[in-house]
Amino acid sequence: MKIVVNRPRCEGHGLCEEAAPQLMHLDDDGELVLDREEIGEADIPLANAAVRVCPVAALRVE
Amino acid sequence: MSTPIKRVVVVGNGIAGLTAADSLRESGFDGELTIVGDEPHAAYSRPALSKALLLDGDDVSSHELPPATHGADEILGVRASGLDVERRLVRLDDGAALPYDRLVIASGSRARRLSDLPEELTLRGLDDALSLRGRLAARPSVVVVGGGPLGMEIASGCLAAGCEVTLVSEGLPMTARLGPYLAGVFVRAALDRGLTIVESGAARLERHGGGARVVLNDGAVVEADLLVSAAGDVPNTEWLADTDLATEGGLRVDARGLVRPEIAAAGDVAAFPSPGGARRVPLWSSAIEQAKVAAAALVRGDETPPLRFQPYFWTEQFGLNLKAVGDLPVHGAPAYVEGGPGGPALMRWSHADGSGVAVALDYRIPIPRLRRLSRAGA
Ligand SMILES: Cc1cc2nc3c(=O)[nH]c(=O)nc-3n(C[C@H](O)[C@H](O)[C@H](O)COP(=O)(O)OP(=O)(O)OC[C@H]3O[C@@H](n4cnc5c(N)ncnc54)[C@H](O)[C@@H]3O)c2cc1C
Ligand code: SF4
Repeated sequence: MKIVVNRPRCEGHGLCEEAAPQLMHLDDDGELVLDREEIGEADIPLANAAVRVCPVAALRVE
Repeated sequence: MSTPIKRVVVVGNGIAGLTAADSLRESGFDGELTIVGDEPHAAYSRPALSKALLLDGDDVSSHELPPATHGADEILGVRASGLDVERRLVRLDDGAALPYDRLVIASGSRARRLSDLPEELTLRGLDDALSLRGRLAARPSVVVVGGGPLGMEIASGCLAAGCEVTLVSEGLPMTARLGPYLAGVFVRAALDRGLTIVESGAARLERHGGGARVVLNDGAVVEADLLVSAAGDVPNTEWLADTDLATEGGLRVDARGLVRPEIAAAGDVAAFPSPGGARRVPLWSSAIEQAKVAAAALVRGDETPPLRFQPYFWTEQFGLNLKAVGDLPVHGAPAYVEGGPGGPALMRWSHADGSGVAVALDYRIPIPRLRRLSRAGA
């Protein structure tokens, strides 16, 4: 499974980082950085939590 | 409460209900989970309705959330019509009754209407947004009643769609939410983009000819092809009428989101304890934080750390993008941490009680950093 960011849509709210700091963070310019793009079964709930809190649906797990 | 939990029912399929269902699973609940939602849609992002969804050309997906993974039975398009606290039953309007061991009340709120006139449009649900979007295609003139963030976002969307827009506001728009300094920034941007702002005391709506119009408190009238109101929200507690749980200001919960040991409530419907008394904070991240704590408390009880909530608010309108952490509104001029008046800026205010508010205006910043800034120097 993979986390995919829709860059133009991301508003940099960073709510995803608060939900899954192990998987992603915003850099100093407010750009979202995926620390791990490829994720295993074990991280799927965490990735989903991040995806879910994003109010602009800029993240997907596929 | 040591009996095993076999069945949990969640009423409401918004972000609070969805988050509660996910969090129940994370807390180890693997029994039967049922979500009842009266909207026929899968859970979606409400904040997107008045932003990207009104603006994006052909893209009508900005509100979509990823498919749920909690494995609950979803009963959608059906309303919960009653609750029997003694027998632990949720009654549905299709005649069914769902027994539960634990219940999550996440029935949210709805738009507060100013009249019964069918011409009065409101924006709360996906169907409202799609219908408004459809109507804007013909570029009608629009009057929006309500100068809060939602009214201003709607006005901004209608202007961007090429409509002539008048906004009727009690006092200067955005002042009640943001305070005069930031409100001034938004009002200038709105005027620059061609919004007509009419300040009035409480306005009312009345039937006129074949349509409806707005009557200001001085008797003047505002007419337009389309009338949209954004006058706040009312918690959905009617289905609890047979219980003594709901009060006028919503459903009171404790610091862990519990109404009773076996019933939790979260999101726009819930009023949780805060220094100023029980209050509802009808915002996206508030609903998420509340739902996480409430679900955990249903499974684990007092072991669950209580809600520690710091408001996060954002808005996009008239080309401006604001993010704020801390208790709004703010008074007086800010300390500028980056930038300055009239451009992208990072600002900070201190309240008399020592708490801080950090605001990013057209300035990209990670929210955790904004949170730290709100606490810095307090
Ligand atoms: C247009 C708009 C823009 C917004 N913009 C922002 C923003 O920019 N930032 C921000 O922080 N917040 C914003 N908000 C607020 C935010 O969307 C809400 O705080 C959040 O969605 C609340 O979630 P909830 O799950 O508690 O309630 P809701 O999303 O209202 O979900 C409750 C669900 O329960 C259903 N329901 C109600 N009664 C029953 C019943 N008896 N039986 C079954 N189902 C029932 C409802 O139909 C609804 O689907 C906005 C709200 C709107 C309407
Ligand atoms: S929550 Fe959404 S908008 Fe915010 S940084 Fe994450 S992906 Fe971007």
